[in-house]
Amino acid sequence: MANDEFREGLIAELSNLRAFAVSLCGSVQQADDLVQETMLKAWGNAEKFQPGTSLRAWLFTILRNTYYSLYRKRGREVQDSDGTYAQRLTVSGEQESALDLADFRVALAKLSEEHREVLIMVGASGLSYEEAAEICGVAVGTIKSRVNRARAKLADLLGITSVDEIGPDRNSVAVTHQSPADMARS
Amino acid sequence: MGEMPGHDDKSEDKDSADVVLDPRIQETIGNALKAHYDDLIKAPVPDRFLVLLAELEAKERQNGQ
Repeated sequence: MANDEFREGLIAELSNLRAFAVSLCGSVQQADDLVQETMLKAWGNAEKFQPGTSLRAWLFTILRNTYYSLYRKRGREVQDSDGTYAQRLTVSGEQESALDLADFRVALAKLSEEHREVLIMVGASGLSYEEAAEICGVAVGTIKSRVNRARAKLADLLGITSVDEIGPDRNSVAVTHQSPADMARS
Repeated sequence: MGEMPGHDDKSEDKDSADVVLDPRIQETIGNALKAHYDDLIKAPVPDRFLVLLAELEAKERQNGQ
């Protein structure tokens, strides 16, 4: 039986669940079905959640298991969407990243699921390496090496394997963030 | 750039986990990942999820009494 605290927690995690789901399947529609399925399972198993542990990690585990057991069977067409959700969810506006978001999503969609999921979990959703390891059922070291490989692969796909591709030469690496004063001077 | 070891799929299992990307590239990818995720987070949560929760709660209340 789910209590109020669990319900509030679940509501608070919906946007994260959805972001993880969209990142995994690359399709908003399918992601929403996946989130719904996850909510039903979470609700039905609420008593198995241990208060004090990370609800996000627990929900991500359910979502991931659901994805691999139900959705992935439908085959590769799921992942061929080439970041079509880029157009559907993007609120265009300020771009904090040096990379174009749509280009990045196309590259992200080309990664293997194994690589994509660890990057999202550790690099974006705020989960720890330990939590990601538990979610995936592998050792922490495995997660670390997957993250490294995934980043290298992504850099390959984005064509930024050399620092030349993203800006000034190596000697200026230390000055990644120029202050406005620096910019004015240059 | 001589510093970047070549990366290809065939060697992936062997040693690419040890490949250390240039910190700037790591940072670029890290920022892009966050921008991607934050953009998704900002999207409004569809009503269907809250409706579903309300239904689940109503059902639970019914069964509990």
